[in-house]
Amino acid sequence: MKNKNWVLAIFILPAVLSFLLVFLYPTIRTFVMSFFYVRTVTDGMAKWEFVGIANYLKLLGSTMFRQSLKNIFLIWVWGGIGVFAVAGLFAVLLTSEGIGRKEKSFFRAAIYLPNVVSAVAMATMWIQYAFNTKYGLFFTIFNALGLEKAAGFQWTSPDNQFFAMTLAYSFGMVGYYLLIFMAGIEKIPRDFFEAATIEGAGMLRKFRGITVPLMRDVLRTGIVMWSISTVAFFIWSQMFSPLDPDIGTITPMVYMYNLVFGRNLTLTDPRLLNSGAGAAVGVMMTAAILVVFGLVNLLIRQRDLEY
Amino acid sequence: MKNIFGSLRRRMMLAPGRAVLALWVLFTAVLVGWIIVASFSTTREIFTNTLLETGLHFENYTKALINHNVGLYFLNSLLYTISSSVGILLVAAPAAYALSRFRFPGNRMIQGSFVASLGVPQIMLVLPLFALASQLRMTNSRALLIVLYVCLNVPFTTFFLLSFFSTLSRSFEEAAAIDGCGPIRAFWTIMFPLAQPGIITVAIFNFIVVWNEYFIALVFANNSEQRPLAVGLYAMVQSMRYTGDWAGMFAAVVIVFVPTFLLYIFLSERIIAGVTGGAIKG
Repeated sequence: MKNKNWVLAIFILPAVLSFLLVFLYPTIRTFVMSFFYVRTVTDGMAKWEFVGIANYLKLLGSTMFRQSLKNIFLIWVWGGIGVFAVAGLFAVLLTSEGIGRKEKSFFRAAIYLPNVVSAVAMATMWIQYAFNTKYGLFFTIFNALGLEKAAGFQWTSPDNQFFAMTLAYSFGMVGYYLLIFMAGIEKIPRDFFEAATIEGAGMLRKFRGITVPLMRDVLRTGIVMWSISTVAFFIWSQMFSPLDPDIGTITPMVYMYNLVFGRNLTLTDPRLLNSGAGAAVGVMMTAAILVVFGLVNLLIRQRDLEY
Repeated sequence: MKNIFGSLRRRMMLAPGRAVLALWVLFTAVLVGWIIVASFSTTREIFTNTLLETGLHFENYTKALINHNVGLYFLNSLLYTISSSVGILLVAAPAAYALSRFRFPGNRMIQGSFVASLGVPQIMLVLPLFALASQLRMTNSRALLIVLYVCLNVPFTTFFLLSFFSTLSRSFEEAAAIDGCGPIRAFWTIMFPLAQPGIITVAIFNFIVVWNEYFIALVFANNSEQRPLAVGLYAMVQSMRYTGDWAGMFAAVVIVFVPTFLLYIFLSERIIAGVTGGAIKG
Protein backbone atom coordinates (compact mmCIF):
# COMPACT_ATOMS: atom_id res chain seq x y z
CA MET A 1 0.00 0.00 0.00
CA LYS A 2 2.79 2.35 0.88
CA ASN A 3 4.35 1.60 -2.47
CA LYS A 4 1.13 2.62 -4.20
CA ASN A 5 1.04 6.04 -2.51
CA TRP A 6 4.57 6.66 -3.62
CA VAL A 7 3.66 5.90 -7.24
CA LEU A 8 0.61 8.10 -6.99
CA ALA A 9 2.75 10.98 -5.77
CA ILE A 10 5.12 10.65 -8.71
CA PHE A 11 2.19 10.73 -11.11
CA ILE A 12 0.32 13.62 -9.59
CA LEU A 13 2.74 15.88 -7.73
CA PRO A 14 4.33 17.63 -10.75
CA ALA A 15 0.90 18.70 -12.03
CA VAL A 16 -0.30 19.78 -8.59
CA LEU A 17 2.90 21.72 -7.92
CA SER A 18 2.68 23.53 -11.25
CA PHE A 19 -0.91 24.45 -10.43
CA LEU A 20 0.13 25.78 -7.01
CA LEU A 21 3.03 27.70 -8.52
CA VAL A 22 1.34 29.46 -11.43
CA PHE A 23 -2.31 29.56 -10.40
CA LEU A 24 -2.98 29.37 -6.67
CA TYR A 25 0.01 31.30 -5.32
CA PRO A 26 -0.22 34.18 -7.84
CA THR A 27 -4.00 34.48 -7.41
CA ILE A 28 -3.70 34.84 -3.64
CA ARG A 29 -0.75 37.20 -3.82
CA THR A 30 -2.37 39.43 -6.44
CA PHE A 31 -5.49 39.64 -4.26
CA VAL A 32 -3.47 40.67 -1.20
CA MET A 33 -1.30 43.01 -3.22
CA SER A 34 -4.32 44.94 -4.47
CA PHE A 35 -4.75 46.41 -0.97
CA PHE A 36 -1.20 47.72 -0.78
CA TYR A 37 0.82 50.51 -2.27
CA VAL A 38 3.62 48.68 -4.08
CA ARG A 39 6.05 51.00 -5.82
CA THR A 40 7.50 48.48 -8.25
CA VAL A 41 6.30 45.00 -8.99
CA THR A 42 9.55 43.45 -7.80
CA ASP A 43 9.35 44.97 -4.30
CA GLY A 44 9.28 42.37 -1.52
CA MET A 45 6.34 42.25 0.86
CA ALA A 46 8.32 44.11 3.50
CA LYS A 47 8.17 47.24 1.36
CA TRP A 48 4.43 47.07 0.77
CA GLU A 49 2.35 49.79 2.35
CA PHE A 50 -1.23 48.94 3.34
CA VAL A 51 -3.75 51.36 1.83
CA GLY A 52 -7.06 49.52 2.13
CA ILE A 53 -9.26 50.00 -0.90
CA ALA A 54 -7.45 53.16 -2.03
CA ASN A 55 -6.12 51.48 -5.18
CA TYR A 56 -9.64 50.54 -6.23
CA LEU A 57 -10.98 54.02 -5.51
CA LYS A 58 -8.19 55.69 -7.46
CA LEU A 59 -8.67 53.39 -10.41
CA LEU A 60 -12.38 54.06 -10.52
CA GLY A 61 -11.62 57.77 -10.31
CA SER A 62 -9.31 57.62 -13.32
CA THR A 63 -10.92 58.62 -16.64
CA MET A 64 -8.59 56.35 -18.58
CA PHE A 65 -9.44 53.29 -16.49
CA ARG A 66 -13.17 53.98 -16.62
CA GLN A 67 -12.86 54.28 -20.39
CA SER A 68 -11.05 50.93 -20.52
CA LEU A 69 -13.92 49.32 -18.61
CA LYS A 70 -16.42 50.92 -20.95
CA ASN A 71 -14.46 49.65 -23.95
CA ILE A 72 -14.41 46.01 -22.89
CA PHE A 73 -18.04 46.23 -21.84
CA LEU A 74 -18.94 47.42 -25.35
CA ILE A 75 -16.79 44.70 -26.93
CA TRP A 76 -18.44 42.16 -24.65
CA VAL A 77 -21.98 43.26 -25.50
CA TRP A 78 -21.81 44.20 -29.20
CA GLY A 79 -19.07 41.79 -30.19
CA GLY A 80 -20.84 39.09 -28.19
CA ILE A 81 -24.21 39.69 -29.82
CA GLY A 82 -22.63 39.75 -33.27
CA VAL A 83 -20.47 36.67 -32.76
CA PHE A 84 -23.22 34.59 -31.13
CA ALA A 85 -25.79 35.59 -33.77
CA VAL A 86 -23.51 34.82 -36.74
CA ALA A 87 -22.08 31.65 -35.18
CA GLY A 88 -25.57 30.49 -34.20
CA LEU A 89 -26.93 31.09 -37.69
CA PHE A 90 -23.98 29.34 -39.33
CA ALA A 91 -24.24 26.43 -36.89
CA VAL A 92 -27.92 25.89 -37.69
CA LEU A 93 -27.22 26.13 -41.42
CA LEU A 94 -24.30 23.73 -41.35
CA THR A 95 -26.12 21.12 -39.26
CA SER A 96 -29.28 21.21 -41.40
CA GLU A 97 -30.10 18.16 -43.49
CA GLY A 98 -29.43 19.76 -46.87
CA ILE A 99 -25.70 20.21 -46.19
CA GLY A 100 -23.47 17.28 -47.06
CA ARG A 101 -20.75 15.99 -44.77
CA LYS A 102 -17.87 17.24 -46.87
CA GLU A 103 -19.40 20.64 -47.35
CA LYS A 104 -20.00 20.90 -43.64
CA SER A 105 -16.45 20.08 -42.61
CA PHE A 106 -15.02 22.39 -45.27
CA PHE A 107 -17.00 25.40 -44.10
CA ARG A 108 -16.40 24.61 -40.46
CA ALA A 109 -12.65 24.32 -40.97
CA ALA A 110 -12.43 27.45 -43.13
CA ILE A 111 -14.40 29.59 -40.71
CA TYR A 112 -12.37 28.37 -37.74
CA LEU A 113 -9.06 29.12 -39.51
CA PRO A 114 -8.43 32.61 -38.01
CA ASN A 115 -8.32 30.98 -34.57
CA VAL A 116 -5.15 29.04 -35.34
CA VAL A 117 -3.32 32.06 -36.75
CA SER A 118 -1.36 34.32 -34.41
CA ALA A 119 -3.50 37.30 -33.40
CA VAL A 120 -0.60 39.62 -34.22
CA ALA A 121 -0.59 38.27 -37.78
CA MET A 122 -4.40 38.50 -38.06
CA ALA A 123 -4.44 42.07 -36.75
CA THR A 124 -1.67 43.03 -39.16
CA MET A 125 -3.67 41.62 -42.06
CA TRP A 126 -6.72 43.63 -41.04
CA ILE A 127 -4.94 46.88 -40.30
CA GLN A 128 -2.41 46.86 -43.11
CA TYR A 129 -4.62 45.33 -45.77
CA ALA A 130 -8.37 45.11 -45.12
CA PHE A 131 -8.64 48.59 -43.57
CA ASN A 132 -5.98 50.31 -45.66
CA THR A 133 -7.38 53.34 -47.47
CA LYS A 134 -4.95 53.29 -50.41
CA TYR A 135 -4.95 49.68 -51.58
CA GLY A 136 -7.10 47.96 -48.95
CA LEU A 137 -9.71 45.24 -49.41
CA PHE A 138 -12.74 47.27 -48.32
CA PHE A 139 -11.49 50.23 -50.36
CA THR A 140 -11.25 48.02 -53.46
CA ILE A 141 -14.62 46.34 -52.92
CA PHE A 142 -16.53 49.56 -52.26
CA ASN A 143 -14.84 51.28 -55.19
CA ALA A 144 -15.77 48.42 -57.51
CA LEU A 145 -19.36 48.72 -56.32
CA GLY A 146 -19.25 52.45 -57.01
CA LEU A 147 -19.71 53.33 -53.35
CA GLU A 148 -17.09 56.03 -53.18
CA LYS A 149 -18.22 57.34 -49.85
CA ALA A 150 -17.92 53.92 -48.23
CA ALA A 151 -14.56 53.39 -49.95
CA GLY A 152 -13.23 56.55 -48.34
CA PHE A 153 -14.22 55.40 -44.85
CA GLN A 154 -11.25 55.95 -42.52
CA TRP A 155 -11.33 52.66 -40.60
CA THR A 156 -8.37 53.30 -38.36
CA SER A 157 -8.97 56.99 -37.61
CA PRO A 158 -9.53 57.77 -33.92
CA ASP A 159 -13.30 58.03 -34.43
CA ASN A 160 -13.67 54.64 -36.08
CA GLN A 161 -10.86 52.52 -34.70
CA PHE A 162 -12.90 51.04 -31.88
CA PHE A 163 -15.54 49.85 -34.34
CA ALA A 164 -12.87 48.55 -36.72
CA MET A 165 -11.08 46.73 -33.90
CA THR A 166 -14.26 45.10 -32.57
CA LEU A 167 -15.25 44.05 -36.09
CA ALA A 168 -11.87 42.49 -36.89
CA TYR A 169 -11.66 40.73 -33.52
CA SER A 170 -15.21 39.39 -33.67
CA PHE A 171 -14.76 38.13 -37.23
CA GLY A 172 -12.08 35.73 -36.06
CA MET A 173 -13.98 34.64 -32.95
CA VAL A 174 -17.02 33.43 -34.92
CA GLY A 175 -15.20 30.22 -35.83
CA TYR A 176 -14.68 29.14 -32.22
CA TYR A 177 -18.32 29.63 -31.26
CA LEU A 178 -19.43 27.98 -34.48
CA LEU A 179 -17.54 24.86 -33.39
CA ILE A 180 -19.02 24.67 -29.93
CA PHE A 181 -22.55 25.47 -31.15
CA MET A 182 -22.33 22.83 -33.87
CA ALA A 183 -21.05 20.25 -31.42
CA GLY A 184 -23.97 21.12 -29.14
CA ILE A 185 -26.56 20.79 -31.91
CA GLU A 186 -25.09 17.52 -33.11
CA LYS A 187 -25.54 16.01 -29.68
CA ILE A 188 -29.30 16.52 -29.85
CA PRO A 189 -30.90 13.25 -31.01
CA ARG A 190 -31.93 13.39 -34.69
CA ASP A 191 -35.36 11.89 -33.89
CA PHE A 192 -36.43 15.15 -32.26
CA PHE A 193 -35.97 17.05 -35.49
CA GLU A 194 -37.45 14.27 -37.59
CA ALA A 195 -40.55 14.08 -35.40
CA ALA A 196 -40.92 17.85 -35.63
CA THR A 197 -40.51 17.76 -39.42
CA ILE A 198 -43.25 15.12 -39.71
CA GLU A 199 -45.48 17.31 -37.57
CA GLY A 200 -44.87 20.06 -40.14
CA ALA A 201 -42.53 22.33 -38.16
CA GLY A 202 -40.40 24.72 -40.22
CA MET A 203 -36.73 25.49 -39.69
CA LEU A 204 -37.38 28.48 -37.44
CA ARG A 205 -39.94 26.62 -35.38
CA LYS A 206 -37.53 23.73 -34.87
CA PHE A 207 -34.76 26.14 -33.92
CA ARG A 208 -36.92 27.87 -31.29
CA GLY A 209 -38.64 24.74 -30.03
CA ILE A 210 -35.79 22.22 -29.97
CA THR A 211 -32.36 23.68 -30.58
CA VAL A 212 -32.45 26.68 -28.25
CA PRO A 213 -33.93 24.98 -25.17
CA LEU A 214 -31.65 21.96 -25.49
CA MET A 215 -28.58 24.11 -25.98
CA ARG A 216 -28.75 25.99 -22.69
CA ASP A 217 -25.64 24.24 -21.45
CA VAL A 218 -23.65 25.16 -24.55
CA LEU A 219 -24.91 28.74 -24.42
CA ARG A 220 -23.82 28.98 -20.80
CA THR A 221 -20.34 27.68 -21.58
CA GLY A 222 -20.20 30.05 -24.55
CA ILE A 223 -21.05 33.15 -22.54
CA VAL A 224 -18.48 32.30 -19.87
CA MET A 225 -15.81 31.64 -22.52
CA TRP A 226 -16.63 34.91 -24.28
CA SER A 227 -16.28 36.79 -21.00
CA ILE A 228 -12.93 35.18 -20.24
CA SER A 229 -11.55 36.08 -23.67
CA THR A 230 -12.92 39.63 -23.47
CA VAL A 231 -11.15 40.20 -20.15
CA ALA A 232 -7.92 39.06 -21.82
CA PHE A 233 -8.40 41.58 -24.64
CA PHE A 234 -4.88 42.87 -25.20
CA ILE A 235 -3.09 42.31 -28.52
CA TRP A 236 -5.81 43.78 -30.70
CA SER A 237 -5.85 46.91 -28.61
CA GLN A 238 -2.07 47.20 -28.77
CA MET A 239 -2.09 46.65 -32.52
CA PHE A 240 -4.74 49.28 -33.16
CA SER A 241 -3.04 51.97 -31.10
CA PRO A 242 0.57 51.01 -31.37
CA LEU A 243 2.53 53.80 -29.77
CA ASP A 244 0.63 54.91 -26.72
CA PRO A 245 -2.44 53.39 -25.18
CA ASP A 246 -5.26 55.26 -26.77
CA ILE A 247 -8.46 56.28 -25.04
CA GLY A 248 -10.42 54.84 -27.97
CA THR A 249 -9.06 51.31 -27.74
CA ILE A 250 -7.62 50.92 -24.25
CA THR A 251 -8.68 47.86 -22.26
CA PRO A 252 -8.03 47.04 -18.58
CA MET A 253 -5.26 44.62 -19.47
CA VAL A 254 -3.46 47.24 -21.59
CA TYR A 255 -3.97 49.73 -18.79
CA MET A 256 -2.50 47.33 -16.25
CA TYR A 257 0.43 46.48 -18.51
CA ASN A 258 1.31 50.15 -18.86
CA LEU A 259 0.81 50.82 -15.19
CA VAL A 260 3.16 48.06 -14.09
CA PHE A 261 5.56 47.38 -16.93
CA GLY A 262 5.26 50.45 -19.11
CA ARG A 263 7.31 53.58 -19.01
CA ASN A 264 4.32 55.59 -19.93
CA LEU A 265 3.91 58.14 -17.18
CA THR A 266 1.63 60.38 -19.18
CA LEU A 267 -1.04 57.71 -19.02
CA THR A 268 -2.06 58.37 -15.46
CA ASP A 269 -1.18 60.55 -12.56
CA PRO A 270 2.15 59.38 -11.12
CA ARG A 271 0.65 58.74 -7.69
CA LEU A 272 -1.38 56.00 -9.31
CA LEU A 273 1.64 54.38 -10.85
CA ASN A 274 1.89 51.52 -8.45
CA SER A 275 1.80 47.80 -8.94
CA GLY A 276 -0.84 47.44 -6.24
CA ALA A 277 -3.24 49.24 -8.55
CA GLY A 278 -2.21 46.84 -11.31
CA ALA A 279 -3.14 43.97 -9.01
CA ALA A 280 -6.47 45.68 -8.28
CA VAL A 281 -7.22 45.72 -12.02
CA GLY A 282 -6.62 41.96 -12.07
CA VAL A 283 -8.90 41.40 -9.07
CA MET A 284 -11.67 43.44 -10.65
CA MET A 285 -11.44 41.47 -13.89
CA THR A 286 -11.49 38.14 -12.07
CA ALA A 287 -14.47 39.34 -10.06
CA ALA A 288 -16.21 40.31 -13.29
CA ILE A 289 -15.77 36.77 -14.62
CA LEU A 290 -17.12 35.32 -11.37
CA VAL A 291 -20.15 37.61 -11.52
CA VAL A 292 -20.88 36.61 -15.12
CA PHE A 293 -20.43 32.96 -14.19
CA GLY A 294 -22.86 33.31 -11.28
CA LEU A 295 -25.44 35.26 -13.27
CA VAL A 296 -25.30 32.90 -16.21
CA ASN A 297 -25.83 29.91 -13.94
CA LEU A 298 -28.69 31.67 -12.21
CA LEU A 299 -30.45 32.90 -15.33
CA ILE A 300 -29.90 29.97 -17.66
CA ARG A 301 -31.08 27.18 -15.43
CA GLN A 302 -30.04 23.66 -16.08
CA ARG A 303 -33.03 21.57 -17.13
CA ASP A 304 -33.38 17.83 -16.84
CA LEU A 305 -33.44 17.52 -20.59
CA GLU A 306 -29.95 18.29 -21.80
CA TYR A 307 -27.90 16.74 -24.51
CA MET B 1 -44.13 13.83 -55.32
CA LYS B 2 -44.59 15.87 -52.19
CA ASN B 3 -41.22 14.67 -51.01
CA ILE B 4 -39.41 15.97 -54.08
CA PHE B 5 -41.00 19.37 -53.68
CA GLY B 6 -40.10 19.31 -50.01
CA SER B 7 -36.42 18.70 -50.67
CA LEU B 8 -36.46 21.27 -53.47
CA ARG B 9 -37.92 23.82 -51.12
CA ARG B 10 -35.31 23.01 -48.54
CA ARG B 11 -32.58 23.50 -51.12
CA MET B 12 -34.01 26.85 -52.10
CA MET B 13 -34.09 27.92 -48.49
CA LEU B 14 -30.49 26.89 -48.00
CA ALA B 15 -29.25 28.81 -51.04
CA PRO B 16 -28.96 32.24 -49.39
CA GLY B 17 -27.32 30.62 -46.39
CA ARG B 18 -24.80 28.90 -48.60
CA ALA B 19 -24.08 32.19 -50.34
CA VAL B 20 -23.35 33.94 -47.03
CA LEU B 21 -21.07 31.11 -45.91
CA ALA B 22 -19.25 31.17 -49.23
CA LEU B 23 -18.75 34.94 -49.06
CA TRP B 24 -17.44 34.67 -45.51
CA VAL B 25 -14.90 32.04 -46.54
CA LEU B 26 -14.00 33.98 -49.68
CA PHE B 27 -13.28 37.05 -47.58
CA THR B 28 -10.95 35.04 -45.33
CA ALA B 29 -9.23 33.54 -48.35
CA VAL B 30 -8.68 36.95 -49.97
CA LEU B 31 -7.42 38.39 -46.68
CA VAL B 32 -4.83 35.65 -46.28
CA GLY B 33 -4.14 35.17 -49.98
CA TRP B 34 -3.44 38.83 -50.66
CA ILE B 35 -0.91 38.94 -47.80
CA ILE B 36 0.91 35.95 -49.30
CA VAL B 37 1.00 37.56 -52.76
CA ALA B 38 2.05 40.91 -51.29
CA SER B 39 4.89 39.23 -49.42
CA PHE B 40 6.43 38.36 -52.80
CA SER B 41 5.96 41.83 -54.26
CA THR B 42 7.76 45.12 -53.69
CA THR B 43 6.53 47.89 -51.42
CA ARG B 44 5.99 50.12 -54.45
CA GLU B 45 3.84 47.45 -56.12
CA ILE B 46 1.75 47.15 -52.95
CA PHE B 47 1.01 50.87 -52.91
CA THR B 48 0.29 51.08 -56.64
CA ASN B 49 -1.86 47.94 -56.68
CA THR B 50 0.36 46.19 -59.19
CA LEU B 51 1.30 43.11 -57.18
CA LEU B 52 3.88 40.73 -58.65
CA GLU B 53 4.43 42.96 -61.71
CA THR B 54 8.17 42.49 -61.50
CA GLY B 55 8.04 38.82 -60.59
CA LEU B 56 8.55 37.02 -57.32
CA HIS B 57 10.67 38.84 -54.77
CA PHE B 58 12.06 36.21 -52.45
CA GLU B 59 14.44 38.76 -51.03
CA ASN B 60 11.58 40.03 -48.83
CA TYR B 61 11.93 36.79 -46.93
CA THR B 62 15.69 36.86 -46.67
CA LYS B 63 15.50 40.49 -45.52
CA ALA B 64 12.89 39.67 -42.90
CA LEU B 65 14.70 36.56 -41.70
CA ILE B 66 18.12 38.16 -41.45
CA ASN B 67 17.87 41.96 -41.24
CA HIS B 68 14.79 42.01 -39.06
CA ASN B 69 15.84 39.10 -36.88
CA VAL B 70 12.78 37.04 -37.80
CA GLY B 71 15.01 33.99 -38.28
CA LEU B 72 16.10 34.17 -34.65
CA TYR B 73 12.53 34.73 -33.46
CA PHE B 74 11.45 31.74 -35.50
CA LEU B 75 14.03 29.50 -33.83
CA ASN B 76 12.99 30.85 -30.42
CA SER B 77 9.34 30.11 -31.15
CA LEU B 78 10.22 26.63 -32.35
CA LEU B 79 12.23 25.98 -29.17
CA TYR B 80 9.52 27.30 -26.85
CA THR B 81 6.72 25.53 -28.64
CA ILE B 82 8.31 22.12 -28.99
CA SER B 83 9.85 21.94 -25.53
CA SER B 84 6.75 23.15 -23.78
CA SER B 85 4.41 20.89 -25.77
CA VAL B 86 6.55 17.92 -24.70
CA GLY B 87 6.90 19.22 -21.14
CA ILE B 88 3.16 19.71 -20.75
CA LEU B 89 2.53 16.10 -21.72
CA LEU B 90 5.23 14.78 -19.36
CA VAL B 91 3.52 16.53 -16.45
CA ALA B 92 -0.13 16.31 -17.43
CA ALA B 93 -0.46 12.79 -18.85
CA PRO B 94 0.60 10.91 -15.68
CA ALA B 95 -1.60 13.20 -13.59
CA ALA B 96 -4.60 12.67 -15.85
CA TYR B 97 -4.02 8.94 -15.70
CA ALA B 98 -3.77 8.84 -11.91
CA LEU B 99 -6.77 11.13 -11.43
CA SER B 100 -8.92 9.00 -13.71
CA ARG B 101 -7.74 5.67 -12.26
CA PHE B 102 -7.18 5.91 -8.53
CA ARG B 103 -9.54 6.92 -5.77
CA PHE B 104 -7.78 8.96 -3.14
CA PRO B 105 -8.67 11.84 -0.86
CA GLY B 106 -8.40 15.12 -2.73
CA ASN B 107 -8.92 13.65 -6.18
CA ARG B 108 -12.14 15.57 -6.83
CA MET B 109 -10.68 18.70 -5.31
CA ILE B 110 -7.68 18.58 -7.63
CA GLN B 111 -9.93 18.07 -10.65
CA GLY B 112 -12.14 20.93 -9.52
CA SER B 113 -9.19 23.27 -8.99
CA PHE B 114 -7.82 22.49 -12.44
CA VAL B 115 -11.15 23.28 -14.06
CA ALA B 116 -11.50 26.48 -12.02
CA SER B 117 -8.04 27.61 -13.09
CA LEU B 118 -9.24 27.68 -16.71
CA GLY B 119 -11.32 30.70 -15.75
CA VAL B 120 -8.54 32.69 -14.07
CA PRO B 121 -7.36 35.47 -16.37
CA GLN B 122 -3.62 35.90 -16.91
CA ILE B 123 -3.89 39.46 -15.64
CA MET B 124 -4.43 37.91 -12.18
CA LEU B 125 -1.29 35.76 -12.39
CA VAL B 126 1.38 37.77 -14.08
CA LEU B 127 2.48 40.22 -11.34
CA PRO B 128 3.52 37.69 -8.66
CA LEU B 129 5.11 35.49 -11.30
CA PHE B 130 7.15 38.43 -12.54
CA ALA B 131 8.21 39.33 -8.99
CA LEU B 132 9.18 35.73 -8.34
CA ALA B 133 11.12 35.45 -11.58
CA SER B 134 13.10 38.60 -10.92
CA GLN B 135 13.87 37.46 -7.38
CA LEU B 136 15.29 34.31 -8.88
CA ARG B 137 17.01 36.47 -11.54
CA MET B 138 15.28 34.48 -14.23
CA THR B 139 13.58 37.18 -16.31
CA ASN B 140 14.59 37.19 -19.94
CA SER B 141 15.60 33.57 -19.85
CA ARG B 142 14.38 30.98 -22.30
CA ALA B 143 14.07 28.33 -19.59
CA LEU B 144 11.71 30.50 -17.56
CA LEU B 145 9.38 30.99 -20.48
CA ILE B 146 9.26 27.26 -21.16
CA VAL B 147 8.55 26.49 -17.49
CA LEU B 148 5.74 29.06 -17.49
CA TYR B 149 4.19 27.68 -20.67
CA VAL B 150 4.31 24.17 -19.26
CA CYS B 151 2.75 25.09 -15.92
CA LEU B 152 0.09 27.37 -17.42
CA ASN B 153 -1.13 24.67 -19.80
CA VAL B 154 -1.01 21.67 -17.44
CA PRO B 155 -4.52 22.09 -15.95
CA PHE B 156 -6.27 22.21 -19.32
CA THR B 157 -4.26 19.31 -20.73
CA THR B 158 -4.81 17.17 -17.63
CA PHE B 159 -8.50 17.88 -17.73
CA PHE B 160 -8.65 17.13 -21.45
CA LEU B 161 -6.85 13.79 -21.11
CA LEU B 162 -8.92 12.55 -18.15
CA SER B 163 -11.67 11.11 -20.33
CA PHE B 164 -9.20 9.37 -22.63
CA PHE B 165 -7.58 7.47 -19.78
CA SER B 166 -10.83 6.64 -18.03
CA THR B 167 -12.08 4.71 -21.08
CA LEU B 168 -9.07 2.36 -21.16
CA SER B 169 -9.55 -1.14 -19.81
CA ARG B 170 -7.95 -2.00 -16.48
CA SER B 171 -6.91 -5.42 -17.71
CA PHE B 172 -3.84 -3.92 -19.37
CA GLU B 173 -2.31 -2.80 -16.10
CA GLU B 174 -3.26 -6.06 -14.40
CA ALA B 175 -1.51 -8.04 -17.11
CA ALA B 176 1.53 -5.76 -16.86
CA ALA B 177 1.65 -6.17 -13.07
CA ILE B 178 1.50 -9.96 -13.38
CA ASP B 179 4.39 -9.84 -15.81
CA GLY B 180 6.37 -7.88 -13.23
CA CYS B 181 6.17 -4.55 -14.97
CA GLY B 182 6.19 -1.66 -12.48
CA PRO B 183 3.42 0.95 -12.58
CA ILE B 184 5.59 3.74 -13.94
CA ARG B 185 6.95 1.66 -16.77
CA ALA B 186 3.51 0.23 -17.41
CA PHE B 187 2.14 3.75 -17.74
CA TRP B 188 4.69 4.99 -20.26
CA THR B 189 4.92 1.81 -22.33
CA ILE B 190 1.28 0.68 -22.28
CA MET B 191 -1.25 3.28 -21.12
CA PHE B 192 0.34 6.37 -22.64
CA PRO B 193 0.46 4.89 -26.17
CA LEU B 194 -3.12 3.64 -25.79
CA ALA B 195 -4.35 7.16 -25.09
CA GLN B 196 -2.64 8.30 -28.28
CA PRO B 197 -5.68 9.83 -30.01
CA GLY B 198 -6.18 12.22 -27.12
CA ILE B 199 -2.47 12.82 -26.63
CA ILE B 200 -1.86 13.79 -30.26
CA THR B 201 -4.91 16.06 -30.37
CA VAL B 202 -3.97 17.92 -27.23
CA ALA B 203 -0.31 18.16 -28.27
CA ILE B 204 -1.25 19.83 -31.57
CA PHE B 205 -3.61 22.08 -29.70
CA ASN B 206 -0.90 23.11 -27.23
CA PHE B 207 1.55 23.64 -30.08
CA ILE B 208 -0.81 26.18 -31.64
CA VAL B 209 -1.58 27.87 -28.31
CA VAL B 210 2.08 28.30 -27.39
CA TRP B 211 3.12 29.32 -30.90
CA ASN B 212 0.56 32.13 -30.88
CA GLU B 213 1.00 33.13 -27.23
CA TYR B 214 1.78 36.79 -26.83
CA PHE B 215 1.21 38.34 -23.41
CA ILE B 216 3.41 36.09 -21.26
CA ALA B 217 6.21 36.35 -23.81
CA LEU B 218 5.86 40.12 -23.92
CA VAL B 219 6.24 40.37 -20.15
CA PHE B 220 8.88 37.71 -19.59
CA ALA B 221 10.96 37.68 -22.78
CA ASN B 222 10.75 41.13 -24.29
CA ASN B 223 14.37 41.21 -25.22
CA SER B 224 15.37 40.92 -28.84
CA GLU B 225 17.43 37.80 -28.06
CA GLN B 226 14.60 35.81 -26.47
CA ARG B 227 11.55 37.08 -28.33
CA PRO B 228 9.28 34.54 -29.94
CA LEU B 229 7.76 35.30 -33.33
CA ALA B 230 4.51 36.89 -32.17
CA VAL B 231 6.29 39.50 -30.05
CA GLY B 232 8.98 39.91 -32.71
CA LEU B 233 6.37 40.54 -35.37
CA TYR B 234 4.77 43.19 -33.19
CA ALA B 235 8.12 44.93 -32.76
CA MET B 236 8.71 44.67 -36.48
CA VAL B 237 5.32 46.11 -37.41
CA GLN B 238 6.09 49.03 -35.13
CA SER B 239 9.48 49.69 -36.68
CA MET B 240 7.90 49.46 -40.16
CA ARG B 241 6.58 52.96 -39.62
CA TYR B 242 10.15 54.16 -39.87
CA THR B 243 11.67 51.69 -42.31
CA GLY B 244 8.67 51.63 -44.67
CA ASP B 245 9.43 48.05 -45.76
CA TRP B 246 5.84 46.87 -46.18
CA ALA B 247 6.77 43.88 -48.33
CA GLY B 248 9.20 42.69 -45.65
CA MET B 249 6.50 43.08 -43.01
CA PHE B 250 4.06 40.95 -45.00
CA ALA B 251 6.78 38.34 -45.44
CA ALA B 252 7.17 38.30 -41.64
CA VAL B 253 3.41 37.88 -41.24
CA VAL B 254 3.54 34.88 -43.56
CA ILE B 255 6.45 33.40 -41.62
CA VAL B 256 4.43 33.73 -38.41
CA PHE B 257 1.29 32.05 -39.65
CA VAL B 258 2.66 29.40 -41.99
CA PRO B 259 3.57 26.76 -39.36
CA THR B 260 0.19 26.71 -37.62
CA PHE B 261 -1.57 27.19 -40.96
CA LEU B 262 0.11 24.09 -42.42
CA LEU B 263 -0.61 22.05 -39.30
CA TYR B 264 -4.21 23.13 -39.59
CA ILE B 265 -4.54 22.23 -43.26
CA PHE B 266 -3.39 18.69 -42.60
CA LEU B 267 -4.94 18.15 -39.20
CA SER B 268 -8.01 20.38 -39.06
CA GLU B 269 -10.38 17.55 -38.09
CA ARG B 270 -8.20 16.62 -35.14
CA ILE B 271 -7.77 20.22 -34.00
CA ILE B 272 -11.50 20.85 -34.22
CA ALA B 273 -12.17 17.69 -32.22
CA GLY B 274 -9.77 19.01 -29.59
CA VAL B 275 -11.52 22.35 -29.35
CA THR B 276 -14.99 20.93 -29.00
CA GLY B 277 -13.84 18.16 -26.66
CA GLY B 278 -12.30 20.72 -24.34
CA ALA B 279 -15.15 23.20 -24.40
CA ILE B 280 -18.20 21.00 -24.23
CA LYS B 281 -17.15 19.09 -21.17
CA GLY B 282 -16.39 22.38 -19.43
